Amino acid sequence: MESTSPTALADLVRRAQKGDEAAQRELVVSYQHRVAGFVYAMTGRSDYVEDLSQQVFIKMIRAIDRLQAPAQFESWLFRLARNTCIDQLRRQKLRRIFLPFGEEHENIPEPPGAVDSEELDALQHALAQLRPQDRALLALVQEGRSHAEIAETLETSVAAVKARLHRAREHLREHYQPPHET
Amino acid sequence: MKPEEHAWQELQRRASAQLRGGFADRVVRTARGPQEDSWRALFSVGARQLRPGFAERVLRAARAAAEMPSLASQFALSAATAAVCLGAVLFVHHQTVEAADERNLAEWQAIVAVAEDDAAGL
Repeated sequence: MESTSPTALADLVRRAQKGDEAAQRELVVSYQHRVAGFVYAMTGRSDYVEDLSQQVFIKMIRAIDRLQAPAQFESWLFRLARNTCIDQLRRQKLRRIFLPFGEEHENIPEPPGAVDSEELDALQHALAQLRPQDRALLALVQEGRSHAEIAETLETSVAAVKARLHRAREHLREHYQPPHET
Repeated sequence: MKPEEHAWQELQRRASAQLRGGFADRVVRTARGPQEDSWRALFSVGARQLRPGFAERVLRAARAAAEMPSLASQFALSAATAAVCLGAVLFVHHQTVEAADERNLAEWQAIVAVAEDDAAGL
């Protein structure tokens, strides 16, 4: 969708708002990989990606007619993704309280990444140490969202976003332990 | 060389022997934090988790969800049912209490009449 102009995106969103299924499908196809990547960065669980991404897009289809500014679609979509992931992580935390020896330790082994997978492991480990809100902040920045857009997503000020982002980056650096070079 | 200088050098030698290979590089990478390509790799691993036909599955699920009554409408139906039940219970209770009151009043009136007759007779 990066190559699509803002006008074309707004037109597509308007068609989707009128219930045009082809437009809704095009939006899903255009954003599915970015949303999946965001969900994975937020949860660190590959087995959650498909399910949570599906939840995000179902919410998108059901609520798109209430989106007043089609130009804000991307910010709105990633706000849905962020909130869906945070809800899931809250539920997971509650489940861990009531089922301490449940299935939380089960995870599908991650496939090796495009770069050194140890670097990826180090990043994932560091992200896992952060609060979900901070993880969301860093993932939104990586997603290409501006400070203003993030402020709108989080319903806060740009200054607050900058301060929180600074702290989140500090925390990430504290926990980031890149692999040894042998 | 003074004995304490020798001792300092020995201390430094032993301390630096504790550092693993690539120490300086590791320090620099840690200080810089995760690099762009690590983030890109993270997002691309996430993107690869979607099975083919994802969009079709989403649209199917959205259609199925649209056909189901919404949570709000289910709640409204439950609330309406509860209100009707409560109304029925209150109505029956009111009727029962009213009937009992009328019965009691009639009985008291009969007692009063008997008492008045007795008083007049005396």
